[in-house]
Amino acid sequence: MLNKVLSIANVGLKGIEIEVEVNIADKGFPGFGIVGLASKAVEEAKERVKTAIINSDINFPNAKITINLAPADLPKDGSCYDLPISVGILASMGELVLPKERSYFYGELSLDGSLRHTRGVFLLALLAKEEGIKKIYVPRMSANEASVIEGVEVYPVDNLKNLIKHLNGERKIEPLKTVNVQDIFDDINPDFDFSEILGQEQAKRALEIAAAGGHNVFMMGPPGSGKTMLSRAIPGILPNLSEKESLEVTKIFSITGNIPPGGSLIRQRPFRSPHHTTSQIGLIGGGSNPKPGEVSLAHRGVLFLDEFPEFGRNSLEALRQPLEDGFVSICRASGSVTFPAQFMLIAAANPCQCGYLGDPKKECSCSPWQILNYRKKLSGPIMDRIDLHLIVPAVDVNHLMIGKNEINNNEKSEVIRKRVVEARKIQSERFKSLNHIHSNSDMKNSHLKEFSNLTGKANLLLKQAVNKFNLSARVYFRLIKVARTIADLDKSMEIKENHIAEALQYRVKNDD
Amino acid sequence: MNEWEKWPIKIIEQKDFPKQLKEIRLCPKKLFYRGEWDKNIFDKVVAIVGSRQITRYGKEIIEKIMPEIISRNTTVISGFMYGVDSQAHWECLKYGGKTVAVLGSGLNEFYPTENNKLYLNILETGGVVISEYEPNFKATVWSFPQRNRIVSGLSTVGVLIVEGGIKSGSLITAKLGLEQKKKILSVPGPINSKTSQGTNWLIKTGAAKMVTEPKDIFEDVISMPEQENLFKDYSNLNEVEKIMIDLLESEALTGDEICQITQKNITEISTTLSMMLMKDLVTETDGKFYIS
Repeated sequence: MLNKVLSIANVGLKGIEIEVEVNIADKGFPGFGIVGLASKAVEEAKERVKTAIINSDINFPNAKITINLAPADLPKDGSCYDLPISVGILASMGELVLPKERSYFYGELSLDGSLRHTRGVFLLALLAKEEGIKKIYVPRMSANEASVIEGVEVYPVDNLKNLIKHLNGERKIEPLKTVNVQDIFDDINPDFDFSEILGQEQAKRALEIAAAGGHNVFMMGPPGSGKTMLSRAIPGILPNLSEKESLEVTKIFSITGNIPPGGSLIRQRPFRSPHHTTSQIGLIGGGSNPKPGEVSLAHRGVLFLDEFPEFGRNSLEALRQPLEDGFVSICRASGSVTFPAQFMLIAAANPCQCGYLGDPKKECSCSPWQILNYRKKLSGPIMDRIDLHLIVPAVDVNHLMIGKNEINNNEKSEVIRKRVVEARKIQSERFKSLNHIHSNSDMKNSHLKEFSNLTGKANLLLKQAVNKFNLSARVYFRLIKVARTIADLDKSMEIKENHIAEALQYRVKNDD
Repeated sequence: MNEWEKWPIKIIEQKDFPKQLKEIRLCPKKLFYRGEWDKNIFDKVVAIVGSRQITRYGKEIIEKIMPEIISRNTTVISGFMYGVDSQAHWECLKYGGKTVAVLGSGLNEFYPTENNKLYLNILETGGVVISEYEPNFKATVWSFPQRNRIVSGLSTVGVLIVEGGIKSGSLITAKLGLEQKKKILSVPGPINSKTSQGTNWLIKTGAAKMVTEPKDIFEDVISMPEQENLFKDYSNLNEVEKIMIDLLESEALTGDEICQITQKNITEISTTLSMMLMKDLVTETDGKFYIS
């Protein structure tokens, strides 16, 4: 007997409806086969489904079972077909009655018949809404992801037995209540508070500007000057994601399995710090069935690249597209997909390979040739795409500890965060009519004319600076964007002379 | 092919050497050279040597002394190495002076290769590039210290050490110079700076004469130091700018350090520093601000 159950497959960040056709033939040699470009993970569903059904106290049929995943030419991967396959088999056996309205089944089975946390449930709910599907059946551990989508009834399933009872009308499973996005809060637990970092006033101010405008930052300083500490403190001054941003981020996190069991929408800005040995595909995304990389996981958040020059040349060059366009396009034989990648890049580097160039206490052991080579990696197009350039000087150890009687006058992250949120508010008001632009750093050059609002004096200073420091056109525009953010922090409609002057402190510093 | 290869390699025998070179111990039998061997350029020669890792301090010293050297028609001789050597060659060429480079390798196998342009420039301005080694000899660890005796040997005015650590090659040159009875001149530096430990040590032991002014290289008269800032116009400064000039006059500082000392807001400091940069009141190197 033939039955059809609906589920989805993921291509990039898009869901595609899949029909799982299950046929149990009366005639023929007993067997169990899956067709429809199933990957190894799907192929193995056979064993899971069979065992789970038996462990749910149901006899597995001794007949020829054929599963077809349609459309048959689309490659399918993942363990999410366990549930639709077993539901199809059980329906064909007459153990349960399939719902009359179109519904999605999705989830991985455990051998005991219970359902496990499965990635991609958020995308399932999105597609369900798009396709007008009213009911979806998903593992309980993953159901929270879907509960924020309005108009879709989410049934959290614990195990096969419960599902059978529910579908047969014996004992109903209560659908989850739709959760309002605004009601979800993530606790922010940054590793460091800004008040714990002593000195480094310029760096702290620069990171405040960066957080307020979503600007990229490059930090250079000797080992132990606090580059990593500063970066780890950034999540504490970032505003929460807006509703729109939150949905974008959750999509990526869901598909990559980065939402913990029971987790729901992501409200906290992502902070990713891949190690410098990360492969290009790990960083940018890819694979034969393309998956998002670290740049996309850092979408709307922070991508922190420590030991920046140690990253492979290819990886660094590949950062250019996402830095400029805010997305990555990955083309493979199976097709091309686009992942969003609008992140704030924080890059950190030592002044030279040994790290002590220019250090007053320790002698640098690099040859000029080595220094040149090290700096070469930092020069050029990538550095041009970074808005704020900082030198983080070594801090005297004596200044690192606060004495017992001294009061720590440093600002707390929370205070800085409030200013950042205010500045972001001004920006979202400014860009509300534009679709993909959320912060000053997202502005294209064409927007600058409309939004920069420079005073005459500021303009004059800017022109002088261009001549004096030999600034390229790209750097010139970046300077205005940074000054725009500084003005926003200052709650000023216009960009004034002093805003430009402060922005100049964070320009690219070319060696003479 | 490099452009300087157009200049043929010539040989000069010991008997034609400048007088000062003939007298040294282990005088080479012959020298290979490119360029025009004009006897007059060896009449008055100062050797400038120093650390391979030149700091901003070293650069400033060379900038400061060079006009005096050139105005006294003195040739600058150095070792063609990066750092102080190259800086001395370049700075000399900048003022139209004559400079002589002594390589630690053969004339076709010079090191470091970044100095390609310098090689050509020295030849074009009537200078000479010298080596005691066969043209295709590759530099080795011992060939650099060995050629130092020629650098110091060719000097008449003295051997000036600009910057150098305690174990640097510049001290070897100083030692060779002493053996050759040359005057050793040394520029002092901060006592906690690695690159000035060698030069300070030379002064401390009495081996070298301390140079604090360009004139000291040539004269032994002790005069009052020149008042430098007399010509700078600091009349139009605002409050904060005045404070900063006062601070920076005694030492170069980073923005953070200024912030810590003055206890002012970093935004104000940054803004003021930028404005001062624009007005050429200060300059910036590696995050530190200097009075220009």
